[in-house]
Amino acid sequence: METSRPVVVKRVPERVNLKEARQFLRAVEPILQSDRPQVVLDLSNVRQLDSAGVDMLLHCMSEAMKRDGDVKLAAPSPEAMVVLELTRTGRLFEIYDSATDAARSFSSFLPNVMRQFSAPETPTITFPSAGSKVTVSHVQPGGNHENAA
Amino acid sequence: MDVRAILLIGGKPEASSEHFTGVPLAMLDLLGASLLNRVTHRMHQQGISSIAVVSEYDQFPDRNLSHDLRWFKAANGQFWRFAEAVFNDFAQNGAELIVVLRLGPYVTVDYEKLVQFHLDHHSRLTQACDQQGEALDVFVISASRRNDAAFIFRNMLERFRVPPDVFPLDERQNRLQTIADFRRLALESFAGKTGIEPQGEQIKPGVWVAPGARIHREARIVAPAYIGAYARVRALAVVTRGSVIERNSLIDCGTVVENSTVLPFSQIGAGLDVSFSVVGFRHVFHLQRQVNVEIADEKLVDMASTSAAVRALSDMVSLALYMPKALLSNLREKRRESPATLPEAVQAIPPSLSTATVEHQDRADRHFAPELMAARRYGNE
Repeated sequence: METSRPVVVKRVPERVNLKEARQFLRAVEPILQSDRPQVVLDLSNVRQLDSAGVDMLLHCMSEAMKRDGDVKLAAPSPEAMVVLELTRTGRLFEIYDSATDAARSFSSFLPNVMRQFSAPETPTITFPSAGSKVTVSHVQPGGNHENAA
Repeated sequence: MDVRAILLIGGKPEASSEHFTGVPLAMLDLLGASLLNRVTHRMHQQGISSIAVVSEYDQFPDRNLSHDLRWFKAANGQFWRFAEAVFNDFAQNGAELIVVLRLGPYVTVDYEKLVQFHLDHHSRLTQACDQQGEALDVFVISASRRNDAAFIFRNMLERFRVPPDVFPLDERQNRLQTIADFRRLALESFAGKTGIEPQGEQIKPGVWVAPGARIHREARIVAPAYIGAYARVRALAVVTRGSVIERNSLIDCGTVVENSTVLPFSQIGAGLDVSFSVVGFRHVFHLQRQVNVEIADEKLVDMASTSAAVRALSDMVSLALYMPKALLSNLREKRRESPATLPEAVQAIPPSLSTATVEHQDRADRHFAPELMAARRYGNE
């Protein structure tokens, strides 16, 4: 199942210092302000990344997550990777070998969530139609199915 | 007997890689002293009276380096001419034997035995070889054999007029061609595989600390590790897995240094993770990724001045600036008033909850609130 929302791939400039980071953030801000933004930052060109650049990446991520979106990193150059590891930020992002892989990764989570809820001994959710009430059911350990509608 | 030495730093084509950010590996500190310092110290101990260094580089500040060392910086293309001239100068001033050694490659040599071997074999030229039979750039040349010496220097220690006698060493040399070799030499020295001993006191098994080093009581040093003279390791920092912190370095709060070397005068910022790297001169060389990254951000990696006076002045200035900064930040905190009431948006019930009726069974031993649900963000992972 593919999600219909677009994935935006942005290429990060070669040098990411304070000035460049601000400029880049200005360019990305409208995308991050959208509903559930899906952003891939391509770091393949990055040759110099400083703490302002790392701060910018974290800012992008927090803004995206506020709106239930995500920011993923693609093809980080060795220089970028060294700085990400040095600042312990590499572990906060999902990092992919290419922008295509990163973009593809956005469209693969919903069906499994559905599958998970169909397993036994877990709460099941019936998604209501428009205007109806949400119903949450609990499965008793003994197997009795008690509906708490 | 008048034995003198010429130490060569650079000169060969492979020497182009034998440096880290422009400083030759032989001049970088390793466990408290540079290889150059260790070699000259050993030579002095073993009776070599005068030492000259011919280098393609300027002398790196090293207060431990012998003061009677004569330093010749050779101009481009003149390196071997300089070496030949120094040899002739020594020969004219009464030297009988001259030891010629090229740094780069490092091996611990017993110079007394080497000279004795040369004398016993009545050699004109003796060359040392390592445990595996590889020829080393370590020679003893009789001072009277100027033409032999000139031929050797003009052929960059590769060809000889007469075949040299070979003096076998018990050790295996480290070629020191890259910074990764330099790091390996540190680890081998911790393991006692080289003749290099850390300069400092062993405060617990495998942990050496040089005089003047300051380690915060909340910092962790895990053996094997070395903390150099006047280095500072601040609170909650961790130095582990054979890491080397050289003199006058700073490891700031919460930083983890793992399997790495921090070169002299380097300052590592707070909360960082330095692993499998050599850090120095505002560069980080990652040994696994084989990449050298210049860090222009002083919050991450910086370099202190090599002058003690400048460092003291800088410390005083930062201390003087700290007080007004702390006062200002306190004032700002007081001025910041907390809102009387929370914004309406926060207090209001979200529309999704207002339309939904969520009921649950009453269970005495309830552990989770029934309206809570744990869900993985990515169902496929």
